[in-house]
Amino acid sequence: MNGYFENTMQLTRFMLRRERVTSTAWIVMLILVVVGLVPGMYAALDATARNEMLGVLANPAMVAMAGPAYAEIHGTFGAFYTNLMFIFTAFTVAIMNIFLVVRHTRADEERGRYEVLRSLPMGRLAGINAAMITAVIINAALAVLMGIFMYLGGLIGYTDMSFSASMLWGVALGATGLFFAALTALFCQLSAITRSVMAYSFVALIFLYLLRAPGDMNPDMEWLALISPLGLVMRTQVFGYDYWWPVWVLLIGAAAITALAYRLNATRDIDQGLIPARPGKAYGGWLLSSAPGLTFRLQRFMVILVVVGMFLLGASYGSVLGEVESFVASNEMYQTLILSPAGIDISVLYGIPVEDAITIMNQLLGAAGFTVVEMFAGFIGGMMALMGLAALIVFTLKAKSEEKDIRTELVLAASVSRTKYLLGFVAIAFVAAVLLQAAMGLGLYVMAVNTLANPADISLGFVMQTSLVYVPALWVMIGVAVLLLGAWPKGTGIVWGYFAYAFFMDLIGSFGIFPEWLGYTTPFGYVPQLPMEDINFVTMGLMTAVAVGLTVLGIFFYNRRDINAVTHSGVSIKPTKILTRPRI
Amino acid sequence: MKLSVEIKDLNKYFGKFQALKGINLEIGEGEVFAYIGPNGAGKSTTIRVLLGILQASSGQVKVFGQDAWKDAVEVHKRIAYVPGDVNLWPNLTGGEVIDLFVKLRGSHDKALRERLIRDFNLDPTKKCRTYSKGNRQKVALVAAFASNADLYILDEPTSGLDPLMEQVFQECVLEQKNKGKGVFLSSHIMSEVERLCDRVGIIREGQLVEVGTLDDLRHLTSYTMTVATERTIEGLEQMDGVYDIYRSDADIKFQVNTDHMGAVISHLTSFGIKKLESAPPSLEELFMRHYGAPS
Repeated sequence: MNGYFENTMQLTRFMLRRERVTSTAWIVMLILVVVGLVPGMYAALDATARNEMLGVLANPAMVAMAGPAYAEIHGTFGAFYTNLMFIFTAFTVAIMNIFLVVRHTRADEERGRYEVLRSLPMGRLAGINAAMITAVIINAALAVLMGIFMYLGGLIGYTDMSFSASMLWGVALGATGLFFAALTALFCQLSAITRSVMAYSFVALIFLYLLRAPGDMNPDMEWLALISPLGLVMRTQVFGYDYWWPVWVLLIGAAAITALAYRLNATRDIDQGLIPARPGKAYGGWLLSSAPGLTFRLQRFMVILVVVGMFLLGASYGSVLGEVESFVASNEMYQTLILSPAGIDISVLYGIPVEDAITIMNQLLGAAGFTVVEMFAGFIGGMMALMGLAALIVFTLKAKSEEKDIRTELVLAASVSRTKYLLGFVAIAFVAAVLLQAAMGLGLYVMAVNTLANPADISLGFVMQTSLVYVPALWVMIGVAVLLLGAWPKGTGIVWGYFAYAFFMDLIGSFGIFPEWLGYTTPFGYVPQLPMEDINFVTMGLMTAVAVGLTVLGIFFYNRRDINAVTHSGVSIKPTKILTRPRI
Repeated sequence: MKLSVEIKDLNKYFGKFQALKGINLEIGEGEVFAYIGPNGAGKSTTIRVLLGILQASSGQVKVFGQDAWKDAVEVHKRIAYVPGDVNLWPNLTGGEVIDLFVKLRGSHDKALRERLIRDFNLDPTKKCRTYSKGNRQKVALVAAFASNADLYILDEPTSGLDPLMEQVFQECVLEQKNKGKGVFLSSHIMSEVERLCDRVGIIREGQLVEVGTLDDLRHLTSYTMTVATERTIEGLEQMDGVYDIYRSDADIKFQVNTDHMGAVISHLTSFGIKKLESAPPSLEELFMRHYGAPS
């Protein structure tokens, strides 16, 4: 192995230097969010409230999402908090590691930067070795800092979070991160294309997350959870039994995968992957004969992916509907959110057994003409629509990234009008809005009828109404994006700010903290609240008209501005010296 | 003569920076015109204004008699464009991109497409992300020459091509020239310009400093003469239009303005000429004169 690792440490130092902003930001953000919630949540929830929420966590739908509800037998705040947050934190750490490893291995290689490094006196495995050592250092830093700050966070007002258990919190996260770093390094050997490596890594992450769900729900299938790093990490039972063995399993797994990645890396050529690149089509299909066709072809895969994703999102909410009665009956927060809008005085539900609460709740709601399931479906409709909106904005603003990458001018130079070009992006976003909402409603309905004790509580027609009623509001948001694209392309970030504001208003607005008129500052404020309100076709028609108006205005401005104006004004061209006209 | 390109008093600002300063230019149909100048002089900006991708801050730009900005779509039906830095969609193959451009321009000559792919030695089944710069340029060139345009706007189209492909490119341009098609070629490769172009325009700092045929440009400047005579030449320093005199034991070298050439040669004859060489300035030299600091 002589010389295989030559200059690894030099390269590691270089990578750490490149990481000083990105990885620091990741670690700081993770700690801020995860630890920052501890004191507040401890203050807000007393032991009774925690026990109530533990009941929610024990609900199979929640176990499928957040892992086994081990905290019930421990009753400590730490265990409760871990039960709530750990798997999602581990998931985020995994994402950080996927980006980290891809950045320093395949992405550098594909861009030709690694080749330059390899021309220096550097071992054949030094590149991947340095990347893995960098991952070890960054995950170790995350583990130690997370542990220390977790302990400090626990100290503020609370003492049952011990130092050793806090360190286990951090170390288990670091070990999970390292496992995914190793897995990503392995995928980097398989494909020569960065995008494919990313896709493999994220599919693996989601697959391993889903794999542990049946293992966590059904003790007979627990082995499924034991072969998933995200199942293993929950088995540390931090702030309960504090098991360390899952950490060792994760680290041994990471080491084994890393060894395999090194082996493959040593035998393959630079710029190659073990999965050979297939030759593509020599001719353009029918889609590639018009500008909108091209736009659709470029976004096709993403549109399908997001439609499937929204179906699954709807399905995951649908799966909770079977439990929603006991859920609402036992949780005051949900009562405020779901029952109060129907004019029900929730104080009658205080302090009575859940069984009785369910009966009373159903009687009261029934008198008003609704079911709990319907109320819940109406309540989550806005939230789900807003999640899909993020994708719709991306589809629309694709027009800007194409312009930035100087590909727009190629199409415009080929006898395509700007109106037609931009309309391609707009049409995809408008149609996708309908598709996403329909997929979501369908997903919710399919899961709901299969899990509800009384399937008649919900109908496909009602579910579709609750989701499709948001379409005009989504169109208005797309219209805002188009207007910015045309009138002020540098300011397209504003639509993301507006999106965040709408999200915030939808989330917080239902608590009734803010004055009512604030709700009308986003298009979502005009969407009728089903099932309490009826669909108002005049309002919906007006919103559609506003959306179309914004789009038309956007196209008007798009026809009147420079293409690439974004890049041109971004780069200041300063002549170094002014020369006079030469005399000849 | 019918004009393919007609630019009058064109100014273009990016914020406060003036990229183009009063450009005036007329190009006839079927003419092969070279547009040369140093980096950042405004070549690509002019081309993008011609394409209606950038809007002129002031002035008039017409292509085939139509407004380059307002009638862009109509104009583009008769134009094919190859940018200097070709950005393609990483997940489409070269063949797919060629078909896209050809179909968007509305032409359809499959045999021509196949011939060009063969001539340029391009693998159309590869994804654009795997192409080198030269190969991406080949994709754009095949797409351009496969569509039956009347004017080819080529912005440094051969900066990534090998000499063999450079040859193929020049043949493609000459083929179009013989068919009476116009070419607007921005280039840094002087041999290419000298071989292909009818007229040359030199732009510097956003201003068109010279336009004309190569002969015109040469006529405005000086020839390098190398002379050996039987007797020592006298009085040369006092003659009009002669400068940069350099004497060596064997011969004498100097620059002479074209309009003083006759007088200088008759003066030299009286000293008994043994050797007389006269070299026109290469385009490269013309070029350097315009690019460099003012003389």
